[in-house]
Amino acid sequence: MDGTSSIVGRILRASTTGFDCGTRSNRIDDNHNFGAFVKVPISDSQDACAIGLIYAIRIDDDPLARELVMAANVDNSTLLDQRDNRMVPVEVCVINVGYCYNGAMFHSLPPRPPLSLSEVMLCDAGEVYDFTQRCDYFRLVLSASEVPCDELIAAALRYASYAYPDAERYDFLVKCGRQLANLLANDLKRLSHVLTLIRPEM
Amino acid sequence: MASTNGVENLETWFPRDGKLSAENGTRLGVVVGGSLSKGLVVKLDPHQPIEDLAVGRYVVVHGDMKKFFCMITDIALDSPNPSIQSDPPEIANDPFLRAVYVGTAAYGKIHAALMLAIDEDDNEPRPVKTIPGHFMQVFNATTEDVNAVFGVEDGSHFNVGAPLELPDTQINLDLKRLVERSVGVFGKSGTGKSFLTRVLLAGIIARQQAVNLIFDMHNDYGWEVQNEGKARAKGLNQLFPSKVSIVTLDAESSRRRNARYDFEVKIGYTEIEPEDIAMLRETMSLSDAMIDASYTLRKHWGKGWIHKLIHATAADMDEIEAATPQRAGTLAALQRRVQRFERWDFLIPEAAGDTVQQIINILENNRSVVLEFGRYGNSLEAYILVANYLTRRIHEMYVERVEKAMGDPAMEPPQLVITIEEAHKFLDPHIASQTIFGIIARELRKYKVTLLIVDQRPSGIDEEVMSQIGTRVTALLDNERDINAVLTGISGAGGLREVLARLDTKQQAIIMGHAVPMPVVVKTRDYNDDFYKSVMDGNLKSEAVSTVRSRLGNSGDRRIR
Repeated sequence: MDGTSSIVGRILRASTTGFDCGTRSNRIDDNHNFGAFVKVPISDSQDACAIGLIYAIRIDDDPLARELVMAANVDNSTLLDQRDNRMVPVEVCVINVGYCYNGAMFHSLPPRPPLSLSEVMLCDAGEVYDFTQRCDYFRLVLSASEVPCDELIAAALRYASYAYPDAERYDFLVKCGRQLANLLANDLKRLSHVLTLIRPEM
Repeated sequence: MASTNGVENLETWFPRDGKLSAENGTRLGVVVGGSLSKGLVVKLDPHQPIEDLAVGRYVVVHGDMKKFFCMITDIALDSPNPSIQSDPPEIANDPFLRAVYVGTAAYGKIHAALMLAIDEDDNEPRPVKTIPGHFMQVFNATTEDVNAVFGVEDGSHFNVGAPLELPDTQINLDLKRLVERSVGVFGKSGTGKSFLTRVLLAGIIARQQAVNLIFDMHNDYGWEVQNEGKARAKGLNQLFPSKVSIVTLDAESSRRRNARYDFEVKIGYTEIEPEDIAMLRETMSLSDAMIDASYTLRKHWGKGWIHKLIHATAADMDEIEAATPQRAGTLAALQRRVQRFERWDFLIPEAAGDTVQQIINILENNRSVVLEFGRYGNSLEAYILVANYLTRRIHEMYVERVEKAMGDPAMEPPQLVITIEEAHKFLDPHIASQTIFGIIARELRKYKVTLLIVDQRPSGIDEEVMSQIGTRVTALLDNERDINAVLTGISGAGGLREVLARLDTKQQAIIMGHAVPMPVVVKTRDYNDDFYKSVMDGNLKSEAVSTVRSRLGNSGDRRIR
């Protein structure tokens, strides 16, 4: 989250609930971690951007990749060429958890989806810190379908905790844990699992 | 740049995590349910350690338009998911999980009985007729909150102690209201009933709200006694020598204790009436037939009937049997019981002077009387007989005087409080309707006589009498029937039951009724040098006023006020 090369990819498809962006496979790095906070401008507005969490990174196959998989001997340069120059992008799936408008953070779905090919950026530490001051986005994550929501919220919280100074990190995780306990009080096994995932190292 | 110190200061004034304070009262939680009849349910804030709370403590709910004064009556643990009880999280060695679970998936609740409402507009305490809305904030009561309700100590208000956890606060009893109606001091044995009673009596005497006639069964009130810690506690006569007289049934005992008594009480057999004998039904195992026989003998032999019965011969008995429907066996049984009177030196065939009239004269001079029983305190029969006899005479005098005062206000006697111990022996449901104490408890308020009854078995007292007790001062009781009896007729009694059963064994009591705006659990004042000084200072001031008043004559009343 140093902000020097924070581009995650470009929008492939999008809705108000989330979006998928694509990138070259050789650009996959720390910016594409499961649970990372990303942002993308909404439609053509420069003042508003959707904020989401990466919940899946998918590398689809293509006919050449299938042939190469079946080949008996593939030399190393072919493999590297296939990885670097393949025509199918790596897809990064994002669930929307809020949006930012004129600097204010909102924990609800954005009013409009981003346009295709818009640039998806990693949120910087300050943005993550500001966005996670409240926990209202938890419900959006926990109630999302087709998303590994327990693992995602845990990964997002661990990710966000590093945006906090050392002295505040423990209190942040306790605060989030308490909110999770309120939301998951009816499912104690699930709560226990999530808390185990976010428990700080003592 | 904000310094660390600056941050700490900010935390002091604006605490985090909901530790808001209203005028320095710590926030405990919010109202989440309840009703006027059953009290409020308050969900505790996560930061609030449940072990810091105690039943009997005051809390204040800040409603939109009123402040509601409540007393904690129960403390509970709860969870939104009952299955947590079957599979509790392992938090013993995990501070993170503990910090997360406590207050969320498992939290504390308190039940608070509504006691008083204070309007924001006029700041006047009033009875509660509504409840605060959902999610109103609940705070620990502050010293200012309690003082606003119980007022300040003055000529008619007397400090009896402090509420729980608020040692800087005073609970000031309204003594004028206290003596207007009968008072009960209850508590199981060893809970400090005598000390409580002594504090109340000292207050009444110091503030000159009434004169007292104290039937001092165990010589607890007049002269100094040793408490359980072997410390000496001054008696009322030592605190108020000019306002309290000691009279005794057992001069020898009083002399041994160096108690300065005024005179020895002697009662003639001729003074004893069949009603006095009827009071002894239970303690002397008297049958209905024996009590009937006593009425017959009184009618047949006149005023000296007791003396004659004690010394009656078989011929006397035959004569009575022949002349009345009474059987010889009944008469003989009654004779055997009445012959016990011969062992009591204070009973004599013919009293030389009228000691009862002397007691009445002392009372009329606005002095209280402590009647010490000495060795007769161990004889319940003697205690009941003397208390009943004296009270009957005083009752007659008071009725006469109050009726005269209707025509001439100058004849009005002083308000009288009669203190009796082992009250259930006088106010047993079988006899309360006939005894003088039953009559006083029920209706003598209008004749300016009330009772201060001290008892460890309130369940043994007639229900009608209990309902007429204006103020109840109750130390620890653990018998279910006694607790029920004390709480009869108290609104919100269900909640107070838990409070009553969990009082400390010493120096704690719940006061409820006519003399306090709302029920209150007090840690009673220490009966020590500070207490003596405070009541004696007040005493000196009022004595000085009395002296000046007497010099100014009748018009002094108006000029001194």
